[in-house]
Amino acid sequence: MNKVVTLKAFFEEARAGRLTAIRCGRCGELAIPPKEFCPACQERAWDPVPLDGHGTIASFTVIRVPPRGHAEEAPYAVAVVRLDEGVSLLGRILDIPLDALKVGMPVRFRPLIRDEQTVIAFGPA
Amino acid sequence: MRGVAVIGVGVTKFGKHERTCAELFAEAAADAIQDAGVSPRAIQAIYYGNVVGGEGEHQLHMGPQAASVLGLPTIPTTRFETACATSHAAFRHAVMEVAAGVSDVLLVGGAERVLNLPTDAATEYFTYASDATFEQPAGMTFPGVFALIARAHMAKYGTTEEQMAHVAVKNHRHGALNPKAQFQKEITLEQVMKSAKIADPLKLYDCCPFTDGAAAVVVVSEEVARKSRKPVWVRASAAASDSMFLHDKKDLSRVLATERAAQAAYRQAGCGPEDVDVVELHDCFTIAEIVATEGLGFFEPGTGGIAAEKGWTSLGGKLPVNPSGGLKAKGHPIGATGAAQIAEIVTQLRREAGPRQVDGAKVGLVHTLGGNTATVLVSLLASE
Ligand SMILES: [Zn+2]
Repeated sequence: MNKVVTLKAFFEEARAGRLTAIRCGRCGELAIPPKEFCPACQERAWDPVPLDGHGTIASFTVIRVPPRGHAEEAPYAVAVVRLDEGVSLLGRILDIPLDALKVGMPVRFRPLIRDEQTVIAFGPA
Repeated sequence: MRGVAVIGVGVTKFGKHERTCAELFAEAAADAIQDAGVSPRAIQAIYYGNVVGGEGEHQLHMGPQAASVLGLPTIPTTRFETACATSHAAFRHAVMEVAAGVSDVLLVGGAERVLNLPTDAATEYFTYASDATFEQPAGMTFPGVFALIARAHMAKYGTTEEQMAHVAVKNHRHGALNPKAQFQKEITLEQVMKSAKIADPLKLYDCCPFTDGAAAVVVVSEEVARKSRKPVWVRASAAASDSMFLHDKKDLSRVLATERAAQAAYRQAGCGPEDVDVVELHDCFTIAEIVATEGLGFFEPGTGGIAAEKGWTSLGGKLPVNPSGGLKAKGHPIGATGAAQIAEIVTQLRREAGPRQVDGAKVGLVHTLGGNTATVLVSLLASE
């Protein structure tokens, strides 16, 4: 059975502090929703899988020239985090000094809530 | 499939302009048609590339508008958009249409104008070419995307900020030889290293500028090409994609779409990276040139930074890369960039590049990357 996780559902869960991935019922590929076909085997049989939110920084940057709408926040860090289950997720880094950031540093998911919007973020592990 | 050639090119001066995208495109297109030596009435369709005209000029349906300003309002037009690879994608479709025998003479190009906009607005509009569901809300920017790639490349291979700076110095040295370039001024390694941080580890001089400009080329069948002055033959034109989501990429130090598009292009042309004499590639950021020279098969993974440092990619080096000055110095009017790169390779293969001519160039490669590395086009052109 294919259980679709919509973006709306993903971010509602994230707002409550929970991350959801999807696992392919055929090849076991783990992915971040939303997707219909499995990019690895083209099967269409996803199952939602909770992620525990722990991971390490795979790469990061400090944005010093932000797009419109983020001016007051700059400088801020954005990282791609490799989660312990094997998938990656991009998000803001919170409560870690910018000059302390390193590839391989352990971090933990937490939502960054701005009014109606939920942004993926990571803080100290 | 029929043989396909480029017989005319036109490029505006790159920099700041007080004209609309349609006006800029019309100048480049008229130059390309006259360079081709064909009648404007011979053009059967126009493939027009533009990225942020909707946001910046409040103009959609821009193909017919561009054709109207060109003075050829009855020619069918289509607008293409694949972020920074826009007009190279348009070129590939034109090549396929001519190869298939549907058309004999097509005009392809693009234009962009952003220097009239506030920097934060232009930065925001460009960001629309990255994912709007995860990445834009996190405050991601294009320098940010390539900063993530740079950091991953540095962590995996030991690539240094100095090696990236060498790419900027080299491309500015080339740009100083190009009268169409936005920056015709050499810079020093120290200037790059001391320039303001934009998205660590990328600094101001690691980044291409915002640019206004346009470029166009005339794509024709072999039969038409045989009657023209100096045809340049299209040996391959390939496209590849990768996930729009940075979180889907398993190795941020590589651009898989570049590797796949290059393999497809070499297969189409029946040649390999060792046969290429001159390259125009997508150096939107210095790290992008380093990763592209690896992905296109010119240098082993992890050694692109060393190649830049040793001068192998300079004019006079073993494989000159971006003799035009690249996006870094020539400028990057995103909708026009692919067509401008093709125009430079055509000029090189016609031996008409003046002081930036690559001696004896017979085979040229054009590489254009769209947005967050999700789209890549690679074409191979040859003088015979
Ligand atoms: Zn699968």
